[in-house]
Amino acid sequence: MKILVPCKRVPDPDQKLRLNAEATDVDSTALTYILNPFDAIAVEEALCIRETTHPDAEIIAVSVAPAEGEDDLRTALAMGADRALLVEHDAQLDSWNVARLLAAVVEREQPALVIMGKQAVDDDANQTGQFLAVQLGWSQATFASQVEFTETGLRVHRETDLGIEIIHVSLPAVVTADLRLNEPRYASLPSILKAKKKPTEYTTAEELGVKPEPRVRLLSMELVHSQRNCEMVTSARELILKLRETEVIKG
Amino acid sequence: MKTLVLMEHDGSALRSGNGAAIGFARELSDDVCGFLLGEDLDAMNCEAAKFAPVITVDDPALADPVADRWAQVIAEVARARGAERIVATSTTWAKDIVTRAAGLLGGAMASDVIGHEVIDGELRLRRPMFAGAVHATLTLEGLPQIITVCASAYEAPEPAATPFAIEPVAANVTELPGSTQLEEVEGKVGARPDVTEARIVVSGGRAFNTSQDFEQLVGGLADTLDAATGSSRALVDAGIVPNSLQVGQTGKVVAPELYLALGISGAVQHLAGMKNSRVIAAINQDPDAPIFEFSDFGLAGDVYEEVPRLIAELNGS
Amino acid sequence: MIENSSDVVVIGGGVAGLSTAMQLARRGVSVTVLEREQIGNGSTGRAAGLLGQLRGTAEHTRMLMDGVKIVQELEEQAGTEIYVQTGSVRVAETAEREKEIADLVEMGRSIDFDIAPMATDELAKRMPYMRTDDVAAACWCPTDGHLQPAELAAAYHKVGRDHGVRYETSCPVTGVLLDGSKARGVETPRGEFYAPILVNAAGPWSHLVAGLTGTTLPTAALGHVYLTTQPDPDHPVDRLSPGFRNRHHRIYGRAENGGLLVGIYAEECAEYDMETLPPDFDMSAMKARRDDFHLAMLIHAAQQRFPWINERTPMHVTTGIMTFSPDGLPFCGQLPDHEGLFYCSGFSGHGIVQSPVIGVIMSELILGNRSTYDIASIEADRYWGVPGFQERDEIEQRCHKMQGSYYGRLEGKSADSKTDTA
Repeated sequence: MKILVPCKRVPDPDQKLRLNAEATDVDSTALTYILNPFDAIAVEEALCIRETTHPDAEIIAVSVAPAEGEDDLRTALAMGADRALLVEHDAQLDSWNVARLLAAVVEREQPALVIMGKQAVDDDANQTGQFLAVQLGWSQATFASQVEFTETGLRVHRETDLGIEIIHVSLPAVVTADLRLNEPRYASLPSILKAKKKPTEYTTAEELGVKPEPRVRLLSMELVHSQRNCEMVTSARELILKLRETEVIKG
Repeated sequence: MKTLVLMEHDGSALRSGNGAAIGFARELSDDVCGFLLGEDLDAMNCEAAKFAPVITVDDPALADPVADRWAQVIAEVARARGAERIVATSTTWAKDIVTRAAGLLGGAMASDVIGHEVIDGELRLRRPMFAGAVHATLTLEGLPQIITVCASAYEAPEPAATPFAIEPVAANVTELPGSTQLEEVEGKVGARPDVTEARIVVSGGRAFNTSQDFEQLVGGLADTLDAATGSSRALVDAGIVPNSLQVGQTGKVVAPELYLALGISGAVQHLAGMKNSRVIAAINQDPDAPIFEFSDFGLAGDVYEEVPRLIAELNGS
Repeated sequence: MIENSSDVVVIGGGVAGLSTAMQLARRGVSVTVLEREQIGNGSTGRAAGLLGQLRGTAEHTRMLMDGVKIVQELEEQAGTEIYVQTGSVRVAETAEREKEIADLVEMGRSIDFDIAPMATDELAKRMPYMRTDDVAAACWCPTDGHLQPAELAAAYHKVGRDHGVRYETSCPVTGVLLDGSKARGVETPRGEFYAPILVNAAGPWSHLVAGLTGTTLPTAALGHVYLTTQPDPDHPVDRLSPGFRNRHHRIYGRAENGGLLVGIYAEECAEYDMETLPPDFDMSAMKARRDDFHLAMLIHAAQQRFPWINERTPMHVTTGIMTFSPDGLPFCGQLPDHEGLFYCSGFSGHGIVQSPVIGVIMSELILGNRSTYDIASIEADRYWGVPGFQERDEIEQRCHKMQGSYYGRLEGKSADSKTDTA
């Protein structure tokens, strides 16, 4: 069985961000990039599947990113993925077009399962997994907090606003990983060394036969965090009033 | 612009957040229809019809909200109706099902919208990115537009004096996909949201003396706000709360909409885990406590007195 | 009187600057602390705080022992627990290291430091979560433990504030004002701050601050990493379990929050070019990549002594930046090029535990130009003009080498023939 794990390269969301001069993107100079934390969970889940029920599973990490995306694919390889594929792409892409590229990779690789993060912590869109599933005509199991194989497919616990929902999906399917699915491992020393010998393939949107067709046009960005200036209030009532004014609590 | 507002329900009642989606849709168009899917919808249809004309697909085949079936019906009805805009309130339901429907309808989708403006006839949408550290302004290319809005960003309209019409619509249920089955829903039994994902986090520090006090005050306030609970390291060290609640450098890193720091002095350990929260409010007995430097609102006082007042205030008494 | 003027401006709100400011204020001096980010946000906030009082010289041991007394006073004044006295052990598995421990016990006893050999079965009893079957020798220092860094910084901050110290946060120093060769103040985005005495306690940034006056400070910014395991019912770690040092595997550690904290001084570590980091780089938000090589080395080393730790163990990883000097000792005092410009930097991973006494020493140097301690080994000018310690790349190389040899070399008498110092 092949498992495809899309891995997004994202700026470390905990470092302070700056915007470029045109305010159309974050200023990428001197920014630290990491493997999207939810995608690391997806990689871990694929590894767990290989280590428990499917020892023959082949895990392919794929990223749509500029050349530097190789770093994050190497993270996935060091964690234990078998091989990597980088779809080199420099320009910003919306979720729809990332899903189209991933769908083209799926056509090529024919995995039975795609596991990916429920969202990337840069755009927080939470769309690519669903778009990919629909483009492929596959089942989807979003917000997975537990995945188990059955004779005919997967039983997935989903974290919803109303509680845990347990669904069964047949394969092939797209599963999107939620926070509680697992605790991703760090790479061991031997595994890091081994990863250096694992193959990474390179391709482009053109080679995959996909011409980006934008659905979302990003006009501008604005930084929200500013220096805090503490306003002291004198009573619990006043505090509630202030919080209601800032609309962080309702009512 | 012909707009469908998807109304989420839990099988027996509409969810309260739907109002935001209607409010948003109404600000942009007069041609707004509510849209319900499911089984045994009569009571909910009537409820929805207080706000807008309703079209409804009531069919046993849609008894469970599974993404592939529901998305297909949504797309089919949207196409049949010539909908140019489809709106829902952003929830896990919408993220699962409406996003899949958007995929069937061409993928022009913006999620978690918190604001908008129309310039030269072009709809510009504002949505948070980077856990709220950035607000992006964007436009959608092509129709229909699929938009989910944050429940807190838009007001629900007042119900109309006379209800709007309810129009049942048949869907082609014989060709619905059948590869997903809902097996079980384990409702939440008083469980609080996880501290890393909650919109509001109520966190307690050294000022709380016992587990009971913590549960009663921090937990009580959290429940009033549908919030998660967190704590500083001091309480974990003292065995008052479990390790899983710790926010800070060696614990969880959180960035909720609102972080309420109760009796937390603001050691760097703790700040590292919460300082990116959108709004921070603190209560501490020491008016010079460093936590206030990181707060938007501060109240110098004893948490044992102030927290019950907050709870009472929120409960409207 | 200009509003932004004081007797002393301290650059850097980590433990070194905070302790210095507090001690000066206690002596009636008006002090302003300027911190680029938030108080305790840099290396201070990332430190493990292990206190091993037995050092290479009797004077350094005395400094640390006196530091504990200062901390105990602080605890009373601030009303928090800072010093956790757990005792500490060193373990040895090779003949060389066994000899090293014997030497240390002898040296400690010669200066009345409480230290004794510890039998392996006693070791296993105190630290049941540790592998001991391969331990050849161990020693026990009951008065050791660790300082809780966040609590220590908060206490300096609070007591300093009570004595009138002014703290300006989010206030990076961008320029140094001079009157000829005399210090006059500093420039910040929030305006100028004037004082005839400046203290450069800027941690990993201190060589950049020194560069503002064209001064070479031989420190380098080196990466460091430690892990903290989540509490594991199969391997409970009592809060008062001993701190440990295992120099053969280059690891150290202590109990933390029901789990075990383990750090490493590996031969190789990450180097940081502070100049190219973003201007608002936030050390408290640093994280290790899942495939971080130094972390993998740490996990590998930790596993040798704690076989239940591996790359899948639920753990929290702390990574930060240390300020190393070529000999692993700090720089305290003035340099010949400017008057009134004091340095207090280069603590090489020991800033937390050295800070209590360093504050005293700095205030003595600033007010009276001499200290009650023998500070020859930490004087700021010991590399002044010395060839091989002037260019950034050679400084970095030497500091890196020092970091690598920190646990690699031998201590005590056995060290005499083998010590590899720059």
